[in-house]
Amino acid sequence: MPQIGFRRTGVRPGGTMPLGGAVACLAALAAFLCQALPGSAHSTDSGIEGDPALGAYLSSECVACHQASGVQVAGIPAIVGWPRDQFVAVMQSYRDGHRDNPVMHNVASRLTDEEIAALAVHFGNLKPTGQ
Amino acid sequence: MRIHRRDFVLGASATIGLTTLAAPAVLGQGKPRVVVIGGGPGGATAAKYIARDSQGAIDVTLVEPSRSYTTCFHSNLYLGGYRSYESITHGYDKLAAHGVKLVHAAAAAIDREKKQVALADGTRLGYDRAIVAPGIDLKYDSVPGWGRDHEKTMPHAWKPGEQTSLLKARLDAVPDGGVIVVIAPPNPYRCPPGPYERVSMMAHALKQSGRTKCKIFVIDPKDSFSKQGLFQQGWERHYPGMVEWLGPKTHDGLKSVDPASGTVKTGFESYERCALVNVIPAQMAGQIARDAGLANETGFCPVKPESMQSANDANLYVLGDATIAGDMPKSSFAANSQAKVAALMIRGELQNARTFPARYNNTCWSLIETDDAVKVGGRYEAKDGKIAAVETFVSKTDETPETRRQTQAENMGWYAGIVTDVFG
Ligand SMILES: Cc1cc2nc3c(=O)[nH]c(=O)nc-3n(C[C@H](O)[C@H](O)[C@H](O)COP(=O)(O)OP(=O)(O)OC[C@H]3O[C@@H](n4cnc5c(N)ncnc54)[C@H](O)[C@@H]3O)c2cc1C
Repeated sequence: MPQIGFRRTGVRPGGTMPLGGAVACLAALAAFLCQALPGSAHSTDSGIEGDPALGAYLSSECVACHQASGVQVAGIPAIVGWPRDQFVAVMQSYRDGHRDNPVMHNVASRLTDEEIAALAVHFGNLKPTGQ
Repeated sequence: MRIHRRDFVLGASATIGLTTLAAPAVLGQGKPRVVVIGGGPGGATAAKYIARDSQGAIDVTLVEPSRSYTTCFHSNLYLGGYRSYESITHGYDKLAAHGVKLVHAAAAAIDREKKQVALADGTRLGYDRAIVAPGIDLKYDSVPGWGRDHEKTMPHAWKPGEQTSLLKARLDAVPDGGVIVVIAPPNPYRCPPGPYERVSMMAHALKQSGRTKCKIFVIDPKDSFSKQGLFQQGWERHYPGMVEWLGPKTHDGLKSVDPASGTVKTGFESYERCALVNVIPAQMAGQIARDAGLANETGFCPVKPESMQSANDANLYVLGDATIAGDMPKSSFAANSQAKVAALMIRGELQNARTFPARYNNTCWSLIETDDAVKVGGRYEAKDGKIAAVETFVSKTDETPETRRQTQAENMGWYAGIVTDVFG
């Protein structure tokens, strides 16, 4: 079978490692942010306390692509276990069009600050399981 | 009593096994029951989300005859040699861990009055809410000269499984210089960019194996098609001289096909001794939905845009390809998105769960050639009585190779993500 392979990063296959998972997650986040926000390290935490029930509902839209286990496959990055303020910053950058992936702009542009905060809480609380 | 199928007979002796004849549970009176018909992206997602999120408070049964599900999505990549058949086939075993009860049988009828789903063996499953997600049926009489008896000679491969493997075997056997005709379907049909991604993957497989003297003719009943500019640019760029698309003005209508001799006749031309003819016929909602009286004159099922509830029966929800979902296309992404709305609304009704306004989403990626993928998508909301597009996007013809490569990487990641969301 030629050409296409899955690249799995984020967690060691089959490993439990809560700490290692978190570190790998942060590494994945850092790599992603370098791509996402060239030259900017600002935190734009809206200061809004996210509503977990709302976050759980909205997250169902995200997990059509992004895996809740924190596994990254090919071009879809892992989004679990991120610090909240950085999750908020990334989503705002898609909403504002600073980052121009049309799929993510399309998703983010209908999210209010409260909804982004709710998603940041939801995904921030998830632990990468790698399954 | 309303029985929506002519041959539906029920004797008292048949009410055995899984039969549930108790009075329908309502809030506060026993465990509410949801029966889901069809284990595709629509039905399987809904079953999983209701079972998982209700944490056992709702009894969820998924009725699906097959023990595994081969996806139509990415079946074109299998045709192009990018994926194995195993990699697009998924089991239902993980759904049980979320609390879904699986019944591997076909639903024979929905008794809307008694709120029961009847299986072929006479077993009846009582429900408080049922979800109908049977996908499409093909209109075998929509292409003159072609019918169910000819699907092996001129495959459709628009329903997954055996047909998909057959089409690949037939494609692999096309000699260099052979003529392929793809008959595209009229609107509305499953996966608007699907026929054109398929043409791209056929051309890729031919080119890859040095069969560049082959020619693929697309006979289309439509004046235009999804991502047309992108596909046509891609065909010229990657497969020069190998693909010719003909709309109704340039072929004057499909007149007939002759499976025995491999002939396709249009108003203007006759394609004879074709090495392969892929007939993608017109489509309608799966039979169980039509028999239950859920479809209208279009052959598809109208739904309430704020919930995916059937417009004809408040106890039934219809999902995915079987529906008339306004501006949303018939895609697995759309079916999965609709399922989450229905799951939440049903939990709201049966469990008093907190609900939020419906929001829907879709993206369809298509691979044209290695590292050259395009996408189209949008977000949707209930508006003016239908599911209306709020914002849409489509790839551009002047994108960089890097963007196209990234788009394909997203496509692969999306596939892994959605099958995990549906079956994982
Ligand atoms: C070539 C091709 C490429 C595609 N590519 C993409 C793509 O890239 N992206 C995308 O999003 N979509 C794509 N699609 C579309 C996608 O496959 C469909 O939109 C999707 O499968 C619809 O899901 P569904 O749940 O409505 O129906 P289905 O997937 O058809 O599932 C219906 C299920 O119901 C079962 N069933 C039917 N009748 C009964 C009954 N009476 N009792 C019990 N069970 C029953 C069937 O066995 C089946 O498993 C593609 C389609 C094709 C043909």
